[in-house]
Amino acid sequence: MNYRSILVTALALGLSTTSVWSATSDNSTLEQGQYLVRAADCAACHTKEGGTPYAGGAPIATPFGTVYGTNIRPDKEYGIGDYSADEFYHVLTEGELPDGTQLYPAMPYTAYHSIARSDSDAMYAYLMSLKPLNIEAPETDLSWPFSMRWTLNFWNLMFAGESPGDAKDQSEQWQRGRYMVDVLGHCGECHTPRNALGALERDNHLQGGVIAGYEAPSLTPDELADRGWTPEDLQTFLREGMSDQGTMFSEMYTVFHHSSRYLRDEDLKAMSLYLMGENPPDARIVDAGNRAGADSPGRRHYLNVCAGCHGAQGEGVPHVAVAMEGNTTLRLDDGRNLVKVIYDGIGAQKFSGFERMQAMPGFADKLSSAEIAELVNYLRQTWGGLDATIDAAAVDELTAKNE
Amino acid sequence: MPARSLKVTINGQAQPVEDIPEELMMLDYLHEYRNLTGTRFGCGQGMCRACTVIVDKPDGSSEEVRTCITGAHYFDGKKIRTVEGHAQRDEEGHIKTLSTVQQQFLEHFSFQCSYCAPGFVNAATVLVERLQRQPIARSQLENTISEALESHICRCTGYVRYFEAVRDAVLKTPGTTKEAS
Repeated sequence: MNYRSILVTALALGLSTTSVWSATSDNSTLEQGQYLVRAADCAACHTKEGGTPYAGGAPIATPFGTVYGTNIRPDKEYGIGDYSADEFYHVLTEGELPDGTQLYPAMPYTAYHSIARSDSDAMYAYLMSLKPLNIEAPETDLSWPFSMRWTLNFWNLMFAGESPGDAKDQSEQWQRGRYMVDVLGHCGECHTPRNALGALERDNHLQGGVIAGYEAPSLTPDELADRGWTPEDLQTFLREGMSDQGTMFSEMYTVFHHSSRYLRDEDLKAMSLYLMGENPPDARIVDAGNRAGADSPGRRHYLNVCAGCHGAQGEGVPHVAVAMEGNTTLRLDDGRNLVKVIYDGIGAQKFSGFERMQAMPGFADKLSSAEIAELVNYLRQTWGGLDATIDAAAVDELTAKNE
Repeated sequence: MPARSLKVTINGQAQPVEDIPEELMMLDYLHEYRNLTGTRFGCGQGMCRACTVIVDKPDGSSEEVRTCITGAHYFDGKKIRTVEGHAQRDEEGHIKTLSTVQQQFLEHFSFQCSYCAPGFVNAATVLVERLQRQPIARSQLENTISEALESHICRCTGYVRYFEAVRDAVLKTPGTTKEAS
């Protein structure tokens, strides 16, 4: 069937021109669109747990209330079925719906602002090729004054910011990496601190943020290397969900499942080049030592409740439990993530191939705050090369609320 | 390997206090030091729960703890029960009466290879004791049993007979259920 016959058929069936768009998109465009939609991690916010991909309904917790990802399938009532490619591009890059409604910046239009028009069109073609589903997302529930959408115009004026410069002096691979990290991947949305109004602190780009109570660590070259990362390890981590530095958990585990595991090797290389530079700093090695003392309370807690899986010497068990030696979470200056995983545990996880990690139990009801502090300090001293700075009060504060 | 003294009560009997290697898992302590081999080493990863024992807390409640991934010294000062501690015995140590849970497992012929049975016995016992303290509506019993036992793995897939035995064990234990919630 050629283009003319498709058009005639579509008109005869009363289909809109948007359907013609998807019908005429070739397979390579659809494949590229799917790749870009995955790279942009659209599913994370537009797919609820156990729901149909891109049919919406996923709750996104913010400090101001809960925003729900909408249906981005080609349904005319609740999805993007009536959008033209121009309108889709406008929504994607400006955060404004065709009827003028301004989206909340939980949708990362400030990052997507620099998406190439051709990429937007491929994403549009792919999404329009999906089966429409007539599913409405729950109403967004934000506290006042954030519930007043018109205030977003001021927010955008203050914080939406400009596109990054051309950076013509950088290599093509570096620029591709920046596009994948800063634009499509919108990594900065989690890995950059935010101000009181929820806007990214652009001067502290990729210097670490907090999401769902967990730290999204700094991704600057020096800090990555200080925590033991090499560009190759970063690529492995994004592709496999795990590396010698540990496994993904919390929000990053979702990113891996919906997005990073699908990325091509050349894009993963470009991302690590952008993040760590053309001449990456050497990864720092921490000697597994005995800074905490052989008879420290933390060591005893470790042997009592951790060593069965993670090994008495922190060596880990392949395919079962990660090693403590070289683990990046133990090397973060802020002990938040370590405290929280010990307190809450981590559910069973699936990674690339047949790799699995069993559930790690939480010890909220097994260890007191003081004992968790002793354990965390032991772990950080022994395998993180850090000082014992966590106390019971800090554990109480971190486990009492999600920020 | 460094050692520390361990003081623990098992099945109502205070055990000899002796130096135990710090890195020893509880399951190995039970097997090698106390000759209590009814607690099974299954997956060694805390997954199958064949190694479960019961810890009796000072407030009168009880809980399951996996011994293949928990160090022996975690139990220092604690009171625990193993599968050997449920039946009533005479002065010579011969079994006189099985516990209600054990009896129901026998009557339902719940186990096949029986490797997971000690873990199921302990889990079911913890459940029955909890329901004695906090009775539930009869209508909630099926779900409650499922929630209590679902983490235990039986490679012979004898779950239905296990669950039916536990249901009867609960129903034969006074005060565990009530007609309405």
